[in-house]
Amino acid sequence: MLNIKTIDDTSINERVYQLNLGPQHPSTHGVLHLLLKLDGEVVISADPIVGYSHRGHEKMAENRIWEQFLPNTSRIDYLSGLIYNQGYCMAVEKMCGIEVPERAEYIRVITSELNRISSHLLGIMAFVMDIGAFTPFLYGWDDREHVLDILERVTGSRLTYCYNRFGGVRNDIDQEFCDGTRRFIDRLRGRFKDYHNLITENIIFIKRTRGVGIIPEETALEFGVTGPSLRGSGVAYDVRKNEPYSVYPGFKFEIPVRKEGDVMARYQVRMAEMEQSMKIIEQALDGLPQGPIRARVPRFIDPPAGDCYFAFESARGAVGYYIVSDGTRIPYRIKVRTPSFSNLFVLTRILPGNFIADTIATLGSIDVVVPEIDR
Amino acid sequence: MNINQLPFINEIYGFLGRDLVAAVIGILIILVFVPLNSAFLVWVERKVAGHIQLRPGPMEVGPHGILQTLVDAVKLMSKEMITPKLADKFLFWLAPIIIIIPAIVCFVVIPFSPIMQVREMNVGILLIFSFSSLTVLSILMGGWASNNKYALIGAVRAVAQNVAYEIPLLLSTMSIIIMTNSFKMSEITAAQSTVWFIVYQPVAAIIFFISTTAETNRAPFDLVEAESELVSGFHTEYTGMRFALFFLAEYTNMFIAASMGAVLFFGGWHGPFFPGLIWFVIKVYVLIFVIIWVRWTFPRLRFDQLMNFAWKFMIPVAMLNLMITAVLLKVL
Amino acid sequence: MPTEGQKKLLEELKNSFTRALPEGRITSGDYARTGCHLEVRMSDAGMRRIAREMKERRFHLETITAVDFPDSFELVYLYSTYYQDFCRVIARILISKEASPVSVSSIYPGACWLEREIYDFFGIRFTEHPDLRRILNPDNADYFPLLKTFGKTKLTEEIDDILC
Repeated sequence: MLNIKTIDDTSINERVYQLNLGPQHPSTHGVLHLLLKLDGEVVISADPIVGYSHRGHEKMAENRIWEQFLPNTSRIDYLSGLIYNQGYCMAVEKMCGIEVPERAEYIRVITSELNRISSHLLGIMAFVMDIGAFTPFLYGWDDREHVLDILERVTGSRLTYCYNRFGGVRNDIDQEFCDGTRRFIDRLRGRFKDYHNLITENIIFIKRTRGVGIIPEETALEFGVTGPSLRGSGVAYDVRKNEPYSVYPGFKFEIPVRKEGDVMARYQVRMAEMEQSMKIIEQALDGLPQGPIRARVPRFIDPPAGDCYFAFESARGAVGYYIVSDGTRIPYRIKVRTPSFSNLFVLTRILPGNFIADTIATLGSIDVVVPEIDR
Repeated sequence: MNINQLPFINEIYGFLGRDLVAAVIGILIILVFVPLNSAFLVWVERKVAGHIQLRPGPMEVGPHGILQTLVDAVKLMSKEMITPKLADKFLFWLAPIIIIIPAIVCFVVIPFSPIMQVREMNVGILLIFSFSSLTVLSILMGGWASNNKYALIGAVRAVAQNVAYEIPLLLSTMSIIIMTNSFKMSEITAAQSTVWFIVYQPVAAIIFFISTTAETNRAPFDLVEAESELVSGFHTEYTGMRFALFFLAEYTNMFIAASMGAVLFFGGWHGPFFPGLIWFVIKVYVLIFVIIWVRWTFPRLRFDQLMNFAWKFMIPVAMLNLMITAVLLKVL
Repeated sequence: MPTEGQKKLLEELKNSFTRALPEGRITSGDYARTGCHLEVRMSDAGMRRIAREMKERRFHLETITAVDFPDSFELVYLYSTYYQDFCRVIARILISKEASPVSVSSIYPGACWLEREIYDFFGIRFTEHPDLRRILNPDNADYFPLLKTFGKTKLTEEIDDILC
């Protein structure tokens, strides 16, 4: 961070020029447009312009019945599709008071955690590629292929899932799924050693990421930052622990927290989170009960009038569904609170004073998925 | 006034004849060798990168994809060479030409074998250094003339980086030159008939390699054309054959840098059993392989870290090395 | 099961709000059905007061949203805790269709974008907002998409054909 002279950030004079980072750019993850005002290589002000992939999911929700909104949920954040599916089903089940059988809850947790691992693999490796190391990106995708193959066997999709239903899940998992998952977890644990050798202990990577893009704790609180970006700044907040849902209270796992708040801290938090997810999956596989996978619910559900807010933890932070029902089969209003929306806004506060190269590193470490912002 | 009294007339007469024919044949061979070498190196880079990244690289065109570069060259030649509307047309056209011609000229003094050197010059090493510095001029022209902010940032970074890393490059080469008292590439090679200079000057070798990686704008010093930040740096706006010339120049510069390294530190064409040419080519390609390997392993340095590294670390170490060499040569 | 810390926090909040906002209705929420521990219903005069109290108690602003009813808007503010025992407060502000509520972005800077989104979708203008312009729709759009009177909705058309 440099001490920059106070230049009125709306003035473009001979020194300050405007640079458009995006929307077409190899390293803004998705169609993100960052309007930078620069003085040489130093950023004076940063203004994210979003809305390039706005598809109107919330309006679509008012034109469909409750069941028909389910495929929309996984398109909002395509990397955590299963987690969003689960969240929506649990929100509606909460409002209607539907009891989900235990086997279904365990299956939901296992598939969601696998989805979290695959999302982190992509997020971390794309960030590392932005810093310049191209090779770990492909190693991460190799691991991700295994997860996608495992999930495809049981859900039928690789990226945009529609696997959960009100009251449970669609298909049952079999022994081969469990064996494949265990093999994958062993394999990934071995790969972590390679990743640490190649990335974490690399002197150039350390110099690029230590002390860069620091989010102070107060700023994180004011802006509503959640997820690994918050846990890298010292706040131990994870919806799975603070506001437990589903069968998470029955599992033993920790929340990795780092105090520094810089890019390296967020990277380490994500790597440690993958390890914790693997622990959860192992415990869930060990304790998987028998039983039905779906409760008996009517074909078209009629929730009672009222509203409900349900929060859960996706790979990027705390997601919330605020659903308003007027007693009919069509939702009255569904609002999706997405973590990337708040996480991206924090950049306007922390980017000024940094170099362009640090901008890219910070943007990659916050791990935004732009369709989640735009909905 | 007799024609025999004109200045340099004896030298000119001496050059015409056998020397001229040798020079012309040599340049023709170089003009054939340079594109073939670049094409081969592009394929080598893609295969090496692929195998490091757990994938096979190009496999479709020809056996193991060996004709891939040829097909890519045909594709690039068939593309439209677009000039942006507000670009500086003359400089925009000139930049790719200026980057490739000095690179080809540098081949004139490289000793491929005891008998294969196009022209023996008293200032061989200086010639190579001065001509490869012209690439900076071309990058600046290309970046400025493109009328594109990304290109300009890339060009500005390139100028600063190249200027900064020239100095340790020259200082480490000087350590070798004061050992052999000559700028001639063939004499430096001949002086290594018993022991390679890397044994005497390991520090200078390391500094030399880091500096040439920075001079040729290869990773981890490739901020100039950092894909993930500046789209393509100074050659963002270049299309078609002009882009191909930049590409060609990059691999030619890599070859020149590696052959300098082979001549200065690894004994040039010396080696048992095989003829000199084969040893020279082997050494050069091993060094190029190391450069490619480094590119796909390390992330890239941020710009201020890069400059700090050059000015605060490399230059003092190179100067210290030079002084110690000079003292030791005087003493021993 | 509400813990001791949670119960204490809720009591404190309830008392504090009842004192500060006499014209509002403060009720305990049914967490199992609605996900909120405390519900505050009031007009837009007390919005900033609630926000300031929440900021002092280290709550974070989870989201702001609006719901379009036939003759009014309902602005919904959701606050929850990072640090202490978990607690969620929902503040519902009923405003008329032409009202201009005050922005809370001076207290919670993160509200800036959330309020821009509400302006973009519903046309509700916030006063004292640092940068009120459209965020997701094109800048020159002349419609507000999430209003019930816009496009094909239950109020404008009968939608029976989607029920297969």
